[in-house]
Amino acid sequence: MAEESRQPGAPREGSGAKETGPRRGGRRQYFRKKKVCRFCSDRVDLIDYKKADVLQPFIQERGKILPRRITGTCARHQRWLTEAIKRARNIALLPFGTAL
Amino acid sequence: MEEHLILPEGRLYDLIFICRPATPEEEIDKLITTVEQVTAERGGKVEKVEKWGTRKLAYRINRHREGNYVLAVLHATRGDMIHELERRLKVSDAVIKYQTVRLDEQVKRQEKLSQRRDRKTARRPRRPAPAAHPAGEQPAAASPAPTQG
Repeated sequence: MAEESRQPGAPREGSGAKETGPRRGGRRQYFRKKKVCRFCSDRVDLIDYKKADVLQPFIQERGKILPRRITGTCARHQRWLTEAIKRARNIALLPFGTAL
Repeated sequence: MEEHLILPEGRLYDLIFICRPATPEEEIDKLITTVEQVTAERGGKVEKVEKWGTRKLAYRINRHREGNYVLAVLHATRGDMIHELERRLKVSDAVIKYQTVRLDEQVKRQEKLSQRRDRKTARRPRRPAPAAHPAGEQPAAASPAPTQG
């Protein structure tokens, strides 16, 4: 069930990050583009729960919130993001599970 | 009158409610006026009212797949205002869902962060200046800096 809900390419990216690790002493085995927080690069100071289209890319097909290791969101923005997604869910802007 | 919490500096709230898709426009307007009335009665202020119109719901609510959204941004000075508003909306037949969210703390945080950022960007041009041109041309070096960072 969990496999189904993952987006294509997403799980591999996540497990790969674990192997290489964050900046170890050894040489990297293969090049990985460093993920940047989308909100940091856009300089977002407030994530609005009313803008469902902004939040949409951060939820899975089954309505789950995508983890940080996949999206590359920074800790602070992920915290804001989860709050916004949960608020949007309550007022039916985003689904709790599958969309309808 | 019953006792209530008094908020000297006031609080900002988002109030969203969803009406049945078949609700006539007049009834929605009536609901909005009740919201305005209750707010005024209880020492609040309506900052903004937005009608989003009929939107698809992300999940079914009372067997409805669509809903008519209304957003109101309110400024409250008394703790019982939201309580009364929510009671009214709960009683109303046309409303299928509502949500109030306190905003002022978030807004305050946002202001603080953007202020800090502004200060930082104002300070930044000084740093690349000596590397590019040691003396005299600080304004010239300062102007391209914001586009880099």
